[in-house]
Amino acid sequence: MKGLRLKYRTKEAIVGYLFAAPVIVSVLVFAIYPIFAAFYYSLTDYQPLEARKFMYVVDPYGALELHTGILREEAGNYTLDELLANFDPIQFVQLDLGVNLDDTEKELVKRYFDSASLISDFREGKLPERLKVSEFMKRYMRAYGHKFSKYVPKFVGLQNFEDIFSDKLFYTSFWNAFLYSLVVVPIQTLLAIILAVAANSKIKGVGFFKAVFFLPAITSSAALSMVFMLLYSKPGVINKILVAIFGKFGFQPIDYLNEPSIALFAIMAMNIWSTAGYFMVTFLAGLQDIPSSIYEAAKIDGANKFQMFWKITMPLLRPQIVFVSIMGTIGCMQVFDQIYFLVRNLRNITISYYIYKNAFEYGKMGYASALAVILFAVILILSLIQRKLIKEQY
Amino acid sequence: MRRLLTVFFAVWVVVGLFAVVRITISGWPGNPVEEATIKRAVDTFNNTIGKQKGIEVVWEPIAGDYKQVLMTRLSGGTGPDLFYVDVYVFEELARANVLLPLDTYVKRDNFDLNDFYPSLIEAFKYQNRLYGIAKDFSTLALWFNKEIFDKYKVPYLTNDETWDSFLKKLQQLKAAGFETPLALAPDFNRIIPFIISFGGRLVKPDLSTALGEPNSKKAIQFYIDLVTKYKVAKEPSALGSGWLGEALATEKCAVAMEGPWTIGFMRGSFPDTFKKMGIVEMPKGIKKATMIYTVAWSINRATPNRDAAWEVLKFLVTEGQRIFVEGAGVLASRKSIAAQDKDPVKQVFYKGAEYGVPWRVPTPTGIFSIANDQIGSLLKDLFAGKLTVDQAVKIIEDNYNNWVKK
Repeated sequence: MKGLRLKYRTKEAIVGYLFAAPVIVSVLVFAIYPIFAAFYYSLTDYQPLEARKFMYVVDPYGALELHTGILREEAGNYTLDELLANFDPIQFVQLDLGVNLDDTEKELVKRYFDSASLISDFREGKLPERLKVSEFMKRYMRAYGHKFSKYVPKFVGLQNFEDIFSDKLFYTSFWNAFLYSLVVVPIQTLLAIILAVAANSKIKGVGFFKAVFFLPAITSSAALSMVFMLLYSKPGVINKILVAIFGKFGFQPIDYLNEPSIALFAIMAMNIWSTAGYFMVTFLAGLQDIPSSIYEAAKIDGANKFQMFWKITMPLLRPQIVFVSIMGTIGCMQVFDQIYFLVRNLRNITISYYIYKNAFEYGKMGYASALAVILFAVILILSLIQRKLIKEQY
Repeated sequence: MRRLLTVFFAVWVVVGLFAVVRITISGWPGNPVEEATIKRAVDTFNNTIGKQKGIEVVWEPIAGDYKQVLMTRLSGGTGPDLFYVDVYVFEELARANVLLPLDTYVKRDNFDLNDFYPSLIEAFKYQNRLYGIAKDFSTLALWFNKEIFDKYKVPYLTNDETWDSFLKKLQQLKAAGFETPLALAPDFNRIIPFIISFGGRLVKPDLSTALGEPNSKKAIQFYIDLVTKYKVAKEPSALGSGWLGEALATEKCAVAMEGPWTIGFMRGSFPDTFKKMGIVEMPKGIKKATMIYTVAWSINRATPNRDAAWEVLKFLVTEGQRIFVEGAGVLASRKSIAAQDKDPVKQVFYKGAEYGVPWRVPTPTGIFSIANDQIGSLLKDLFAGKLTVDQAVKIIEDNYNNWVKK
């Protein structure tokens, strides 16, 4: 037992880590690993549809019947040479077995595929009925069979990044996300402060107002998008009101979401409205921290409400402003759901929607990862700049 | 302990004896009428062939972005056994080797492919292998609201309409006070019949884009002019509708080019408007043209139950198709079933099969989805008057090769 006697502190540490293990493991698996994987995939041409190509279970008889046009029960009627004459290993593996090959794999198949042994097994009925592609290749490759056991995406170096910088849609979507943050973050932060100050004042029914301000934040963005789709539509309520008021000045109803130069701003307005309430809570907490004695002192010195707001409230909310503007920027640069639901024109998409489209619709996972890496770098830099500009003080 | 084991063993044996092969079939969810029909087809199979052969079919529709979800599930190895493949994405999936070639099954069972319209069989062939069997097909025709035409005293549209006479009637409607006679969608596939009938083509023999050729360009110009120059057309969203059929059903427009899927929709939800509808063939230019949309049933290459999946597929395109044609108002891809389909409303759509072109744009890589998105986006700009057709065509010509590359 002597060897196992650990120091108390070590024991304590082990127990601590054991308790924290579920969180540590899940963070490693669902956060740290994917981040590094994205970096890796950004340097490859990862094809999600091919990730399992060596794991498919194939039916060699079926594949050969398909390739030769000869059913297995008829195969004995032909000689080995007759069958071999019409056998093309690369075509067989690609089309009939159903495994897409890259250039090096093609070369290997061309050189080392044991056509004769496969065909003779086919004639003599000795083929396995069903097996995995990887096992099949191990069996019928004279060498390098192990190269066909696991999908390894092709390493393309910085090719994806080069493509990105000549991709017009990248610039458009990136600029849109940037513009979106530039407009939304300041307005939503200011609005959140105003809402917080209002909610912090001692008026009747303050709880009701707090709840109303916060309501959009806890509503699903899909539901909000649907509601705004109706509001913004050409025969929608907003147009009806505007026409009623400004109709006599020649106002024409606008199809907000389909008008390329307006759509993004319409979505910005919706987002400011829905997130301001959420950040209001942060500022409310900040406001409660400001001692009332400071306001009393200011009052005695003859400061008015406006001066107190700009000279006391705003500076003392600095930590919250840093937090909200950083979180807001990160959220805005990554804005996705409203764009996904409401935007129909590629001119108005944002970068994260473009990432999604590339990854899941176009099947260009490597390219999408590279876009994600760039977005990550930009957000990191923006956050660092913000921290420098608005210094934290405690 | 031993007793527990015995119970386990008994349960295992019982389950094993009555085990059935489960075949999951997937597609996009249809309207309530279509959903009811597919459920009826599934039940019919489960109660007849399924019972004999120990196969149970489960219909699991994928709501939302069908292609994205399907591709993600296929890459994760959790794809359905049998699923819809739209001809428009067919080549992309076939090239990715996720579909099972059906030739051996067809040969072994002597499955009669000659009963299908040849263009629909060809549509699902890649490298001379058959990867799917058309479940049905649709074409576009010209729908119009007779009541509105009566009210504004404009003669009905006919089967021999040319683009000029068609435009004239729309202009008469507008002049008589009907604000938006036509609903048009800014989707590339909707322009294709215009391009073909104007004598244009989609791609050159070397598969580069032919949209810049004079006839193709003229067709695009005409399509956009309907919206921006003659102002007789608007897109459905500008009319407060989700799609063309809805705009037509809610009488926000008088004319639209729609497919037979609108029949089931209108009969179910707008039976009164449906009675006012006239349906004629698409207007023609130099020649007749319409779109053929078709969707196949294909088998997942990774399915462990290929033979069972094939049994289900066979049912779905034979007996199952009969159920669909009767229930959901689709057009039969099988000539023998089409011959029995006497629904007078559908005849004009069947006629389109003679001269229509399938919705499949050949590209060197089989990928058209990026180009389709980009062109669709340009069309939105064109509808909004942000671009001229010349500018848009220039953008397409300059970038097309990038859009269709791997």
